[in-house]
Amino acid sequence: MENNLVEQDMSIYLAIVLAPLMGAIIAGVFGRYISRTMAHQVTIVGVAISAALSLLVFKHFALEDMTTINETIYTWMVSDGLHLEVGFLIDKLTAMMMVVVTFVSLMVHIYTIGYMHDDSGYKRFFSYISLFTFSMLMLIMANNFVQLFFGWEAVGLVSYLLIGFWYTRETAIYANLKAFIVNRVGDFGFILGIALVAMTFNSLDYQDVFAASTLHTESTIALFPGTHWSTITVICLLLFIGAMAKSAQAPLHVWLPDSMEGPTPISALIHAATMVTAGIFMVARMSPLFELSPVALNFILLIGAVTAFFMGLLGIVQNDIKRVIAYSTLSQLGYMTVALGASAYAASIFHLMTHAFFKALLFLAAGSVIIAMHHEQDIRKMGGIRHYMPITWITFLLGTLALIGTPGFAGFFSKDSIIMAVHASQLPGANIAYLAILLGVFITAFYSFRLYFLVFHGQPRMDHHTKADLHETPKVVTVPLILLAIPSVLIGALFVADMVFGDFFGAAIMVLPEHDVLATLAKDYHGIIAMVLHSFKSLPFWLMLAGIMSAWYLYMVNPSLPEKLSQRLLIIHKVLLNKYYFDDINSTVFAGGARQLGTFLSRFGDTQVIDGWFVNGSAKLVAWFSSIIRHIQSGYLYHYAFAMMLGLATLLVLLLTTVISH
Amino acid sequence: MLTLTHFLVLAGLLMSIGLAGIFINRKNIIILLMCVELILLAVNLNFIAFSHYLGNVEGQIFVFFILTVAAAEAAIGLAILVVLFRRRQSINVDELDSLKG
Amino acid sequence: MTEAIIFYLFSTVAVVSALMMISVRNPVRAAFYLVLSFFASAIIWLLLQAEFLAIVLVLVYVGAVMVLFLFVVMMLDLNIVEKESGFTRYFPIGIMLAAITFFSIYYVLGQKESGMDVFQSQPLSTAASHVEGYSNTKELGKLLYSEYVYAFEIAAMLLLVAIVAAISLTYRRRPKTRHQNPDLQVSARHEDRIRIVKIPVEERK
Repeated sequence: MENNLVEQDMSIYLAIVLAPLMGAIIAGVFGRYISRTMAHQVTIVGVAISAALSLLVFKHFALEDMTTINETIYTWMVSDGLHLEVGFLIDKLTAMMMVVVTFVSLMVHIYTIGYMHDDSGYKRFFSYISLFTFSMLMLIMANNFVQLFFGWEAVGLVSYLLIGFWYTRETAIYANLKAFIVNRVGDFGFILGIALVAMTFNSLDYQDVFAASTLHTESTIALFPGTHWSTITVICLLLFIGAMAKSAQAPLHVWLPDSMEGPTPISALIHAATMVTAGIFMVARMSPLFELSPVALNFILLIGAVTAFFMGLLGIVQNDIKRVIAYSTLSQLGYMTVALGASAYAASIFHLMTHAFFKALLFLAAGSVIIAMHHEQDIRKMGGIRHYMPITWITFLLGTLALIGTPGFAGFFSKDSIIMAVHASQLPGANIAYLAILLGVFITAFYSFRLYFLVFHGQPRMDHHTKADLHETPKVVTVPLILLAIPSVLIGALFVADMVFGDFFGAAIMVLPEHDVLATLAKDYHGIIAMVLHSFKSLPFWLMLAGIMSAWYLYMVNPSLPEKLSQRLLIIHKVLLNKYYFDDINSTVFAGGARQLGTFLSRFGDTQVIDGWFVNGSAKLVAWFSSIIRHIQSGYLYHYAFAMMLGLATLLVLLLTTVISH
Repeated sequence: MLTLTHFLVLAGLLMSIGLAGIFINRKNIIILLMCVELILLAVNLNFIAFSHYLGNVEGQIFVFFILTVAAAEAAIGLAILVVLFRRRQSINVDELDSLKG
Repeated sequence: MTEAIIFYLFSTVAVVSALMMISVRNPVRAAFYLVLSFFASAIIWLLLQAEFLAIVLVLVYVGAVMVLFLFVVMMLDLNIVEKESGFTRYFPIGIMLAAITFFSIYYVLGQKESGMDVFQSQPLSTAASHVEGYSNTKELGKLLYSEYVYAFEIAAMLLLVAIVAAISLTYRRRPKTRHQNPDLQVSARHEDRIRIVKIPVEERK
């Protein structure tokens, strides 16, 4: 009975979405009329309301097994039978995402009070992150493609604004421009995909599309005249191109490391925990479509594997604390994508959730270090910080252990599930992907502990002035760290049984029986303890241990060795330092090519054809014509009178001839 | 016996004289104006002749309005002439070519 | 028969005086010839039983418009010396054009195809002759003040505008002339006119 009442009531969902928006508007539009304290209070209250209600909704779904809600709130327009609407589709997948987004967002809000304390853009920042929370909620709660696209673009916009938050820095402007342009490439594919969905299904509502998807498995589309492409595959690939840009998959990943130009809370919230996982979420949400296209799934699998392995490698050579974590994010997003490709959507979403917590934790802890170091981000100038910042040290260590998949920690359950799922997958590319992510475990452990040792252990390498002032950060910073550390450790063990091996997501995720790798794994699942114990006998655990040990040897025992190694492996080192030359290729081939094309079009098309022929040409033609015709305009009265009379006589004669001819 | 044609021919004759007058007196702007009046007179004669022929008074209403407009036109035309003369000390049509393109 | 005599007589007068008007050089004379032409036309209008308009033509045109012409001609102090210039050059063309116009009109009037030849065979007026006490003025007035009352009022406005335009065009403000300003005169107060000055008493030396 109570469930029914809640089901009827959409206002709770509206409140979840609109509370952060209100906060953003008050802090943003009316920012000049309120104090700094007021600004953070109002936004935090908005997000807190949202988080509390999301928890309530999650409780309804997880514990009370509420049925899926799919309702339209507002119809924007109807065009030729195509409904453009605002509506919510709430099921377990959505409910889980809502909790993750609002909880991490709330932590980041609180943390920001400390991190941005001295910044002049304080209120603007709060307005942006609240706006981001609103946009992200719109994205995940959408029940149709239009709203999904709205949220997609809105989070992109906020990301753009926040990367360029310090808009006086040239690097920040460059970075946000880069993020914007790369995302444009993805969004182009994404909107083409949506357009193809509208064309094929004549509906943009999830339920309609999913219900009709099996009818279109055989239909084809002619991308080029005379060729036949499976419509579903084309739709899935186009949508996935959008996901590639948003979730930073190779080769559209280039914007994410540069996005670290933004303030650290943003790196935690947008560029690690939530926004970048929008692509993962989208694919999981569209599982009824993707399941029908093995080609698309294989593509996703390979892209994910490439990203997971090669982006992890880059983390080894970075010296900026945030960039190391950024490359780790790229690599972990690769893991999620691999899981999607292997049809292990639940494992992917599960990793998304655990990753959101521990990666947000890592970023915020890194931010804590950065505050203490007076905004120094180079890890070569750190070291031995554990003595000065115990809380940050412990939480960072917990986050790192979760990230590398130490048995028992959150990351272990999600990552191990993914590795096993890929191993069990029957797709043609699964073997390569399995190898890539297996090696990825070693790399992850290596760069994570390299970072950890360089920052928290060893000899202090900072200057005296900084060292004298080094102390633990205030409570607004450490409390979110502690609050995030708890789920980072525990959440895996709590939910792995239900989410990955159970039937938690139910109808929210559709997997064909022949792809259902997780069901195969579920047969061998005998509880958390058994899973942990089994891992000690498995390859990933020993690879991880090897990673930690090599990091320990290279950076603690024999710190001079990395230098020699990089000398020895000069070419590889150079390639890694230049990030596989992606940036150079982009800026010469794509940006340079576009610029040359633009110059050509400007010189020839615009200046010559449009300006020269059409604009000035028509004016010149008129001038030429009038220079001839002006001679008729003598200015003498009798000339005009003569013309009139001549006309009259001509008309009369004409009349006469017609009369005669009758 | 008088017929309508007589009057129409007379009107045509008057109008042709007015037209010819505009050509012949192309230099003298006052006579030009008078020629215009003559043409209007011919038109009015046509209206009145037809009005009589058809037994319909409305043609005469037309003449009434034409007379009104012609009077107003003559008044303003002459006023312009006066201003023109005041400004240029001449109303010689040959010198009035400021509108030349 | 009497009507025909009157018609031919006065139409001859009208045409001849019109010809004279366009051929004389002196504008004053031209104006007088035009007056004569108008008079003759007015009599022809009387023949057509348009008594009111005939009177109006004489009163308004001859009495007002042509007098206005004469006034202007006299005011402008025209130099009529340059007589012959350009008279002959355009003369043939003018005559030719006029002739073409006239003969095409004439031709059309006589043509069977134009349907205008019936005018020649029918009597002048096809309507029944008027009853006793018929008044052309009254009939016109009835129509003007009922059916054409808006047009009539617009015509009135047009005349008013013409008056205002003519006055404002020709009105000349002479800066050197002295004139009274009643507004200032009425609003003047005696304080403005008299100034009482206190002069300290000085002792005679």
